[in-house]
Amino acid sequence: MSPKINAQISPQPCPHLAEFRRTSTKPFLALHSCLRIKPPGGRAALRRDPDEVPRCGACGLSSPSRLYACVTCAAVSCHSTSADDSSHAAVHAASMPPGHQIAVDVDRAELFCCACRDQVYDRDFDAAVVIAQTAASTLGADPPPAIPSSHPENLRKKRRVDYRPWAPDLRERALIGSCSGPIAGDAADPSQDLPRGLRGLNNLGNTCFMNSVLQALLHTPPLRNYFLSDRHNRFFCQKRNNGDGDGGAAGKRNGGNNGNKNARICLACDMDAMFSAVFSGDRVPYSPAKFLYSWWQHAANLASYEQQDAHEFFISMLDGIHEKVEKGRREPDSEGNGDCCIAHKVFSGILRSDVTCMACGFTSTTYDPCIDISLDLEPNQGVSNKTATATSNHSCNGEADCMNSSQYCGTSTLTGCLKRFTRAERLGADQKFFCRQCQVRQETLKQMSIRKLPLVSCFHIKRFEHSSTRKMSRKVDRYLQFPFSLDMSPYLSSTILRSRFGNRIFPFDGDEPDASDELCSEFELFAVVTHTGKLDAGHYVTYLRLSNRWYKCDDAWITQVDENIVRAAQCYMMFYVQKMLYYKATDKQVAS
Amino acid sequence: MAVKLIETGEKERLMELLRERLVDCGWKDEMKALCRAVVKKKGRNNVTVDELVHVITPKGRASVPDTIKAELLQRIRTFLVSAAL
Ligand SMILES: [Zn+2]
Ligand SMILES: [Zn+2]
Ligand SMILES: [Zn+2]
Ligand SMILES: [Zn+2]
Ligand SMILES: [Zn+2]
Ligand SMILES: [Zn+2]
Repeated sequence: MSPKINAQISPQPCPHLAEFRRTSTKPFLALHSCLRIKPPGGRAALRRDPDEVPRCGACGLSSPSRLYACVTCAAVSCHSTSADDSSHAAVHAASMPPGHQIAVDVDRAELFCCACRDQVYDRDFDAAVVIAQTAASTLGADPPPAIPSSHPENLRKKRRVDYRPWAPDLRERALIGSCSGPIAGDAADPSQDLPRGLRGLNNLGNTCFMNSVLQALLHTPPLRNYFLSDRHNRFFCQKRNNGDGDGGAAGKRNGGNNGNKNARICLACDMDAMFSAVFSGDRVPYSPAKFLYSWWQHAANLASYEQQDAHEFFISMLDGIHEKVEKGRREPDSEGNGDCCIAHKVFSGILRSDVTCMACGFTSTTYDPCIDISLDLEPNQGVSNKTATATSNHSCNGEADCMNSSQYCGTSTLTGCLKRFTRAERLGADQKFFCRQCQVRQETLKQMSIRKLPLVSCFHIKRFEHSSTRKMSRKVDRYLQFPFSLDMSPYLSSTILRSRFGNRIFPFDGDEPDASDELCSEFELFAVVTHTGKLDAGHYVTYLRLSNRWYKCDDAWITQVDENIVRAAQCYMMFYVQKMLYYKATDKQVAS
Repeated sequence: MAVKLIETGEKERLMELLRERLVDCGWKDEMKALCRAVVKKKGRNNVTVDELVHVITPKGRASVPDTIKAELLQRIRTFLVSAAL
């Protein structure tokens, strides 16, 4: 009954189990063929053939409280928990030579010692069950019709930092009064009903790929709060860099800016300038020329007036912010745990991948930082777009809702993609892995899960397929449904490992599942970057959700749109923010 | 009849329904808390699964909500009727 089974404190085997392990060479071999998983991904049970109705060999009862199969002779006996009731399992154990004490619960596939009358645990046995379960869940088309996992609320311990209101004291109030003025232009402005910070971005020649991503970033709550609270002041940054760092990094860039020695490339500074301009209250479309120029300097290979991939731009510019901000600091390499720069603090999460040997069950675990999650569209389910839009008009905020409609009409959904992303997948025979325990290359199962959620989750849908062999690319226009509210808890490592291993011993030395991630697994959608048209001649448009209204940002043009237009759009990148941050953001907007 | 219940898979479906309902109504959490308390009182290494089940079962039986019992009963009746046809 040790509660810490998953955390590697394996309980001691009872003397009977120890003796059984010592005397038999392949203790649980015979069981392997009897393990049945019903439904795929579901519970493990023991049946000699699928339709067998097991009954007690002594009394014939087929549904007593528990039935056990002896691991030595396969005799099935009933068992009752009260010491005074008859237990044919205990009788069986006592009447046979040693070795018949250990039995398996036929409906749960769990080990039991009939002499000790207690549950016992064994690594190899659990490994066998886990392999059978995982294999079953990869064979069927989809995991079971997901009884919405109703983990009671109190299982997810809410351990947030409490919000503490801040009110300026007298001195601070005086300072605020003397150093700031009311933000101008609200009263007479005809566009005053537009939320603050909503400003078109001029197209500088096929730069909608950049504008679309910038609009999303300008309204990413934690990023916006960072810049608007002056955490990266462009004047200080430039001054500081010119002051102390003239030798090193500055030496790299020679020429170019002869006239202006102050201009060191810092994408964060350009973001700071852009935030100031966009939130100034001015509604005339803004030209992010300075930013584009800086980005060209950063990503020289992408500098051209051709249409670029918005997702590549997103990755490259976050990388740019990271690099420039990092240069000033001497901190040890903290990239990956997300503490290095604002870009990583906001977007960085950690993926976990478990590779399980199909022969012995040994699993090796790796962790990789990620800044977004790229998802494959589900394989074509041959559904016309009409059905897709029809269901999309349906209010579909709940996850279960989406899952159901996806099952009924075959529409691809974001949750479906995430499910596929985190499903155990059997790697082909050509991708055998070296198993440390078997010491040979073996076939394996691979399963991804999310170890740490970022503050803002960006999902990128792989619509552009590049085939290197045929030297061609194509775009997949398929519709994908996405929810406005997203619960990420089913894709967390802790959930996935719990459902995969239950209370069995982990057959590997990975660390324990981390429950801390479950705190903030609810997300709200706030930006959708869409792509229309062909591969190279297409157009990017962003839909922003501000104060619970939707706005279409098409380069310089901003219009309010109905949410059904957003639901029907061809999403390319979706930005979700942790719910608690989203609501604070909305409140603020309303209050201002 | 009991065999028929198993063979048709109806028993498995009923069990699944029961599990779901018991989780929904908080019964499972209640039992979990009870188990924790028993284990704590006796000391972690001095309690077997059998003892635990023995102690908990009466309380567990008693605290299953009547609505759930009624729903299952209804399901079983329906099954009996359809099986008799
Ligand atoms: Zn019996
Ligand atoms: Zn036996
Ligand atoms: Zn024993
Ligand atoms: Zn800077
Ligand atoms: Zn960074
Ligand atoms: Zn192996």
